[in-house]
Amino acid sequence: MNEDESLERVVLNVGEFYELVTGHLEAAFGRRRPQWVRGEIAKVYEKSHLYLDLVDAGSASDTRRPVLNAHCWATAWGALKRRLAADGVTLAAGAVVNLRGYVDVYAPQGKIGFTITEVDVEGLLGDLAKRRQELIARLEREGLLTRNKELPVPVVPLRVGLVASPGTEGYRDFTGQLVRSGYAFDVAVVTTLVQGDGAPEQIVRALERLDAAHCDVICVVRGGGSKGDLACFDDEGVARAIALAQTPIFTGIGHTGDESVADLVAHTRAITPTKLGEELVLLVAQWHLRNVRQPAQALERFSNDLLEEASEYLRERRRTVVFAVRDRLRAEVRHLGTLRQRLVREGRQLVETETKWLASTRQLLSAYDPSRRLAQGWSIVTTRQGLLVRSLADVDEGSEIDVRVSDGVVAGVVTRKVAP
Amino acid sequence: MTNKGWNESADELNAIVASFDEGEVSVDELFAKLERATTIIEDLEQRLAATAAKVEELTPRLAKVTEDE
Repeated sequence: MNEDESLERVVLNVGEFYELVTGHLEAAFGRRRPQWVRGEIAKVYEKSHLYLDLVDAGSASDTRRPVLNAHCWATAWGALKRRLAADGVTLAAGAVVNLRGYVDVYAPQGKIGFTITEVDVEGLLGDLAKRRQELIARLEREGLLTRNKELPVPVVPLRVGLVASPGTEGYRDFTGQLVRSGYAFDVAVVTTLVQGDGAPEQIVRALERLDAAHCDVICVVRGGGSKGDLACFDDEGVARAIALAQTPIFTGIGHTGDESVADLVAHTRAITPTKLGEELVLLVAQWHLRNVRQPAQALERFSNDLLEEASEYLRERRRTVVFAVRDRLRAEVRHLGTLRQRLVREGRQLVETETKWLASTRQLLSAYDPSRRLAQGWSIVTTRQGLLVRSLADVDEGSEIDVRVSDGVVAGVVTRKVAP
Repeated sequence: MTNKGWNESADELNAIVASFDEGEVSVDELFAKLERATTIIEDLEQRLAATAAKVEELTPRLAKVTEDE
């Protein structure tokens, strides 16, 4: 029996075997000496501790592929998990990761494993970013980045579908804006998770349900959080559900600076839930301004102008009537004055004319004055009754007559009548 | 007063004023036309005051619509 054969004859019990294996491994790797391992996560299981099955990238379908059982104990996993979440990294199946840790042997289960002490976040982020860009490029090629943006938004978007988690700050911020506006928003809420593995599926179902409910707009709302919290809004299913919806989708996700794929495909993107509420209220307020307040203001101005115009018209008419009547009366007074003057003038002329006429007539008549004839020796014979005797026929013989001469009357009796 | 509309009454008033301007009104008619014009003006003023009062009544409601939220 040579030395090798004598060594082969050493029979170890199981515990000794694992001690030997552990010793050899520690000799090869160094005791708890850090070692980087790269692989694709095949399985993830978390219960206080984190358990990963790591395989070589691209070998997931190969049943004979080597598998590394990696784990991160709860004492380290808590802090590591928070850091990953802050960076928006989720250790999910399919992700290719670089893990830092050390080899160990877990004899109770007969496993050689790997204790994780660190995860290469930079590498993971790069991978996530790359996958995100690939998703965006796919959506762009399919025309899905602009599809929802092309949908018209109703002029008064009061029927609002809301995908959110009631009780969260983002929900309160958004709905608070609508309530404070005083407008009659009718909000149909479909409650979903807004972070975590189950969130994308719930969000997709909520979008489909509200899309069928014929809302004016659907708002997807989520307050600020870590990149990991918001990762569900980079989900391809969520992005496609938004892009293909028949209703305009508005997003208010995270804080300023966060831009998810959901934001990119949405019709309208606000930087926060509060801003989204403000924008929605603004749309209604603009309509209200154009269609209610401005017409009301115009109506107020118009009625005031009309009343003022009518008042001015009546004031002017009143003045005009008063002045017109005064003018008319003055004109009549003037007319009467003129008539009076005319009458006086014409009366005087008439008197003068008549006076002249009388004088002329008097002069004319004087030529026929009997006294003048009597003075010349003529006499006037009248009957005793005073009738002129112009002819023999006017008297009878024996009738009494008076013979008027210039200085008196000679009474006589007709003794005879002699014809010439 | 008749139930004439504002414009109809205003037309009648304008016609009376025009007849004054044109000197068509005889002294016999002057008083009757002046009385008629005064009646129309008073009626229109009453109507205007009533309308203004209604507008005043509506203005707060309109202001409520127009004031900033």
